[in-house]
Amino acid sequence: MTSFIPAFAWQSRAILGRHWRVHLRKWHTALLPPLMEPLIMLLAFGVGLGSQMTTLTWNGTSIDYLTYLAPGILAYTAFMTSFFQSLFSAYVRMHFQKSWEGQLTTQVRLEHVVWGEAFWAASMATMYAAMVCVVLVGFGVFGSLTLHWPWLLATLPLLFLGALAFSAIGLLFTATLPSMDHMGLPFFLVIMPIGFASNTYFPLPDLPVLNQISMVNPLYHLCEGLRWLLIAGELHWHLAAAAGLFLLMLAILIPIDMRLLRRRVFGDG
Amino acid sequence: MTTVSLLDARGLVKSLGGKRVVDGVDLTCAPGEVLGLLGPNGAGKTTSLRMCYGFLRPDAGTISIAGHDLTLAPDAARQALGVCTQDDTFDADFSVRGNLEQTGRYYRPRIPDLKKRIDELLDQFGLKEYEHHMPEMLSGGYKRRLMIARAVLHRPRVVFLDEPTTGLDPQARVAVWELVASLRAQGMAVVLTTHYMDEAERLSDRLLVLQSGKVRAAGQAKSVLGDVVGEHIVVLPVSTPGAEGIPAWLAERKLITSTVLGCWHIPLDAAGLVAFVAAFPTLRYEVRIPTLDDLFLALADEKKP
Repeated sequence: MTSFIPAFAWQSRAILGRHWRVHLRKWHTALLPPLMEPLIMLLAFGVGLGSQMTTLTWNGTSIDYLTYLAPGILAYTAFMTSFFQSLFSAYVRMHFQKSWEGQLTTQVRLEHVVWGEAFWAASMATMYAAMVCVVLVGFGVFGSLTLHWPWLLATLPLLFLGALAFSAIGLLFTATLPSMDHMGLPFFLVIMPIGFASNTYFPLPDLPVLNQISMVNPLYHLCEGLRWLLIAGELHWHLAAAAGLFLLMLAILIPIDMRLLRRRVFGDG
Repeated sequence: MTTVSLLDARGLVKSLGGKRVVDGVDLTCAPGEVLGLLGPNGAGKTTSLRMCYGFLRPDAGTISIAGHDLTLAPDAARQALGVCTQDDTFDADFSVRGNLEQTGRYYRPRIPDLKKRIDELLDQFGLKEYEHHMPEMLSGGYKRRLMIARAVLHRPRVVFLDEPTTGLDPQARVAVWELVASLRAQGMAVVLTTHYMDEAERLSDRLLVLQSGKVRAAGQAKSVLGDVVGEHIVVLPVSTPGAEGIPAWLAERKLITSTVLGCWHIPLDAAGLVAFVAAFPTLRYEVRIPTLDDLFLALADEKKP
């Protein structure tokens, strides 16, 4: 429990505020990637590749590939942004800039820095996901995409929770990676397996092993939950499964992150 | 009348990696006092300091900052302390002024008149003309000034300076000394570690010498030197004709000597010097007063098996 109380402390908000302040100063350059990336993905895969395909079957219904892809891109954006922020950006701040150490000489303690980083990764991921929503609405305006639009905004709180949980995985690697040269390892160990077994870009083959793996993959439940919500307009159990897995990840990983980061930053623990 | 210590650390013990690095160290520092923490590498200076400013949790012992227990009341204790770490730990995303503004946001209650306080520090530390520069653009000396300015932004009662002048040129070192003197004049308790013996001697009101995690000597520079080194240092080349009998003479008295660049530096008290003169009447050598460098050499030699 002691790992979770600092989440509500003013110091954690002060760290989050610091990241927002830096980001807002660079908004004009920071805005471009989150807008362009989903746009290019949806154009290249949804429109480009989708036009080469016949419709695919999802939940017994024929839908075009762009419709299938849209909720997946939304979920994947939250996952990737959060993971990248909590791993790469946090590692740079901790190891190279040493700005963590500067913060820790004040009333801010390590648990606040960890929560501040996690909240920032989740905020950034949610902000990027919101931009994906804007791009999706753009496709809708031009008649290329039909979703249950009112549910689009309702996805954001769940995406925030999911991003917070994924940031806990990122911070685990921040605490344990020996050097920057090993940065490819988490992408190989976490991003690729979770991404491929998630139904983000294509429906998984109906194999018993893959079905079992996907059942414990939070990104799979998030993708499928968002599909049910945005394509069928239904609240499906996948959403509850995703939320449950996210909470479980936070409960397990945050105390481990704190312990490992204490060892990493202070050589203690 | 007794002065209450602003820093009061008692019985500090810390093991790292299975090795006891600090073993029962007491640290106290009064208002307007500069305590110099000395010792060879691995003596436990930085570990002691890191416990005092909350980076490491002591395995045993208590730390009180301006009357606030660091473990039981961390926010109040941290409000009363300021830290200048060995490495520069600026926020690379902010300018000189931005770093001070951002640091101000890490304190509650909020620093009154923060803008005015920042202007005051920029003037006092000679940083005004660089306020909009990024910290990495500053020279080493100005980076240190910014580090110290950041450490005292919230008007702490106790300031920890971990090797504040390492790597600086002589002019920049003197500028940092002036700043340390001004902190003392403002009534802050200042604890500093340094490898520069002249710096420790000039700045410190009191020295604490650590060796292998324990306090080896404490007090004013002269008394510490007297306790550990002695009153005189006899210096002569090892190859001096007629000096062949010296090792046996030293061994008989169980005296430890240092050899630097082919010269013996033999620490002796008054009686020892009289005995040396009597034992080697024809030798020519230099006799000088000991310095803190001799203290370091003596401690290093004591550690040798």
